[in-house]
This record gives sequence, structure tokens and C-alpha cells, in this order.
Amino acid sequence: MRELIDLDRAQRRRLPDWSEIVDRLRSSTRDTAVAVLRRGGGRPALQPRCGVGGHPEMLALLRALDRAGAPDLLSVTIDSHTRLRHFATADRARRENPGQLNGYPLVAHGWERGRALVDAVGVPLQVRHGSPDGRDLFAVSLAAGITSFEGGGIGYNIPYAKDVPLAESLRAWQQVDAVTAALAGHGVVLERELFGSLTAVLVPPSLSLAMTLLEALLAAEQGVRCVSVSYPQSGEVHQDVAALRAIRSVAARYLPADMTVFTVLHEFMGVFPADRGWAEALVHYGGLVGRIGAADKVITKTRQEAHGIPTAAANAEGLRLARAACSPLLDFIRLNEDRVTEEQAWIETEVAALVEPVLNRAPTLAAGICAAFADGTLDIPFSASVHAHAAVVPLRDPTGAVRYHSPGALPLPRAALDRQRGLLNQRTGRITEKILADINYFAAREPWAAEPEEATA
Amino acid sequence: MGDTAFRSRRRLVLGVAASDAHAVANRLIHLMLVQQGFRPHNLGVCTPLAEFADAAADLDAAAVIVGSVNGHAVEDLRGLPDLRRMGRLRCPVVFGGRPSIDAAGHPAARARLRDLGVDHVLDRPEELPAVLDSILSAALTHA
Repeated sequence: MRELIDLDRAQRRRLPDWSEIVDRLRSSTRDTAVAVLRRGGGRPALQPRCGVGGHPEMLALLRALDRAGAPDLLSVTIDSHTRLRHFATADRARRENPGQLNGYPLVAHGWERGRALVDAVGVPLQVRHGSPDGRDLFAVSLAAGITSFEGGGIGYNIPYAKDVPLAESLRAWQQVDAVTAALAGHGVVLERELFGSLTAVLVPPSLSLAMTLLEALLAAEQGVRCVSVSYPQSGEVHQDVAALRAIRSVAARYLPADMTVFTVLHEFMGVFPADRGWAEALVHYGGLVGRIGAADKVITKTRQEAHGIPTAAANAEGLRLARAACSPLLDFIRLNEDRVTEEQAWIETEVAALVEPVLNRAPTLAAGICAAFADGTLDIPFSASVHAHAAVVPLRDPTGAVRYHSPGALPLPRAALDRQRGLLNQRTGRITEKILADINYFAAREPWAAEPEEATA
Repeated sequence: MGDTAFRSRRRLVLGVAASDAHAVANRLIHLMLVQQGFRPHNLGVCTPLAEFADAAADLDAAAVIVGSVNGHAVEDLRGLPDLRRMGRLRCPVVFGGRPSIDAAGHPAARARLRDLGVDHVLDRPEELPAVLDSILSAALTHA
């Protein structure tokens, strides 16, 4: 196993032998994340985000959420210093002032403490982060006995780092995937969740699906046969349900037939309303969309989203709200299926247009992805990275669905672009004001107003 | 609105603190400043303080604007006193965003940022133009 992944020398010295890591994962009697997802249960598995800097505080947080929120999985959200491999800064911060870290510095705390986190709760843990190069974090996670690891070479680079060349992040994540495949050969199937939320702000569904599909294909090249594909709730229910269904249809078309794909909905990731009731309605709405879209998992949000990192109590309430939304009591809700079908067909068309040219580029898929980002035929809005053009400009149409205002150099078909323009052409005003209004789509609405002004304009 | 031609007479350096990858607000603030007649040079996300200082020196900038919303502002700006002492960062420093990880920590973090030598601590981008106008007018008068 160790020959599959290049680790930082100092970190490698601190790890147990790979044989011990693998034996422990194999012999564990705990549920793996994938076992929870396979079991299903008639509703999406529910998982909150959570991570604080101090170890005792993290243990307490996980226990409190496990007890009060009855999650199906729990998260270990990693701090920003660790994400960027600033391990020394993370280590100093966790010693001096752990309460001011925005997540759990797992590498600095070390795998022994990671095992304590695993042992503290009855449900599997997932490491959620945002590392362009998550190899050391991955190794420490495995040593801790954690069976789910989020990220990929596109989605954890372009929205999360300023200047990490794509070739580097793709190579790092290919090694993570190679280890994932090797572990499956030993009977340990990890959940490898691909981060389709990107910058989490006005992400057109076809763009999200194109990026995660490319990452899934890269994983498949390394032998991975089980992935979770996540998608960020846009806020327009027909579009969101169509996108969740399209994850399955594009997977069936492009991925190996023996590949298992779980679908994950990230409850609305954008600017949340400050009003408690309105925020709770939005959390509930996310659970409902996940249920209607038959997501295998929903990552929940909280009523405190607008105010920073939530308390354990608010986080547990978020789980309860999402669970209530998944209740069979609400089974009477029916969407306009024609509208969902139409949206889904367009998403599939757009994904094909974005992905197929990359598949045909020589010499390798990874090289094709790098070349496509370099010429802007792959791109994301509001990129953090200088390695994407960020020429794509999204806007909401009058129903709230996210559309391409400008596609940049994305090779979208004429018919798709004409449709998008048609849906947006009722809007007037300066582009920055429109973008701001769309970002604040939920936050800016008067809590109990009937309709946003946009819809009647 | 009065004459804002002076806004373009000096450059500004804009960017996001070293550990923070939140790009959306940064890109919108850049656009907003350009539309209002300022001349920002945008260093983007995950920018160490020393890079702000170097860019400010290269461009003879009137101000450095550091955004951060991930709660790590105090940690990311802890090098400011050293840069000031070495004379590497002479212009006013404006901070905007969320100073700590939760609302309860904001007052202490704001005070800490001022102790480190941040001249203006702002909560909202809308506050920027007036603050920048005052910095630019002072800089142009004393130049």
C-alpha cells in the first residue's frame, strides 16, 4: 500500500505500519460509511458538518450530536490551515488557541486521537475538508479507522486554493484513489465522496455534474468502484430533483457498469437568512428535496448558518428538521414531472457537451482535464484558483433556477445557450447587482413574504 | 455623488487572508470597486501578508484591503507588526469580513486586529468606499 502514495516524511514516520492500518480497518466490527449508505432505510442518510479545534471539545461535540441528533453518519470537518498543508500553523494554533480554529486539525492531533473520535460514537465518520493535496490527511484518517473521505483533484483544488497546478492536485488524488481501490481489494470499501458543490454559490447543475463525473472517471481509472457524487441544492426544486436524477443517468452512461454511485445532496450552501424561522424552513426544504430526489445522503445545515459555526444543539436541530422533512407524512407532495424531466434532459445534454471533448483529448484523461481548464472549455464561476478562467457567470431565472448568463468558453450547444438566455432575458440591471441579489436569494427575502420580487418583476 | 476622479489616482491592493479560500465575495468586491472608479489590484484568495506588503510596495498603493470570512483573521495577520517594524508595509491596512469563527468571538478578535496594527476593521463591503475615500484623500493631500 505504501508504494501507492507519497507522504510527507515527517507524517509518515508518525503513522503505524500500513499492514496494521489495513488489518484494523478489516477487522473492525463497526459499520463503515458505505454499509450505512447500502442499507438505505427508505430515506436519505443524514449527516451534519462538524469540526472544532480542541480534541476534548471535538469528542464532546461528536457525542452530543450522536445523542441529540441521531445522525446516520458524522463529519470531522478539518480546519483551513490543515487543508492547505500548513501543518505547523495548525499545530501551533491547536496548542495555543484551539477554540479559534475553524475545524479539527486531524494531522496535528494525530491518528491516535482520531481513533478516539471513531470510538466515541456509534456511527461512521467522514473527513470533510478542501485539500488540493489531501494525501497525508487521508493516511492519518485511515490510520484512525475513518471509512469515508471527501474530495477530488478538481473540486478540492479550483474552489479551495489560489495557485496549485491542476496536474499536481490530480496526481495527489489519483494516489488517494489508488489506495482506495487497493483497500477494496482487501474488503474495505471506503466512501469516496466527490465534491460537486465547487464554490457553493450559484453552481449550474451541469457544471457540478461534469466535474464530479470527470473525477469519478479518474477514480475508475485507478480501480475505484464505489463513489458518492454530491450536488449543491440550488433552491429551485425541479432543477434540484432533476440534477439528483441526472447524477444516476450520466453515471450509467459514462462510468463502468460495476461502479456503485451514491447520490448526495448538500443542503443549500449559500448565504443563509439570519431569521431563525426562515433558516429552519430552508433546512427543512433541503431535507425534503433530498427525499424527493431519492438522494442516498443529505448533508444538513443549521439555523445558525448565517451567524458562523453552529452550536451542537443547533446542529442537532438541523438533523431533526431534515429527518422530519423525510417523513412519509409528506409523501403526498408531487412535483410537476414534465418540468423535472425537461430539466433533466437539458442537464444531460449539457454534461455531455462539457465532458465528451475532454474524454477525446490525448494523451490521458488527467492531461485532458488540465488542457481544458487551460483553454477555458472547463471552467467554474468565482474560481478561487488562478488555474480556471472564471469566465462563467451564473444567474437565477425568475423561478430561482440557476442558469448560465455567460458560458465563458464552455462548449455548450447553441440550443442550450439559447434556452438559458431566453430564461434570463426578463432581467434588467447591472450584472454585479443581479449576482448579489441572486447570492442573497434566500437571505434577502422577507421571511414570510409570498414571493421574491424577482419572480414578479 | 461628488467628483470621484481622485479614486483612480492611487492603486489599492485587495486580497483574501492566507488560510482563506473564499473567492466569491473577493471577486464581487473587486468588481464593485472597479465600477466605483477605484483601481484595485486583486491578489485573490489564500494570500500571505508578505505578498500584500510586496504588492503594496511595488504599486505604491494607498491601502491594503484584506478580506477573511473563515474565522482565522487574527492568526493570518499575526505577522503585521513585524512587517510594519521592518518598514515593508507602510500604508493603511483595512480588514473586512468575519473576524472570528462565531459572533461571540468578534469583539475580542476586532480588538486583537487593531492591536496588530489594522487601521480599519469593517463588517460589510458597503463600508469600503467611504473608508477608502478618506484614506485616498489623506494620502493625496500629504503626497
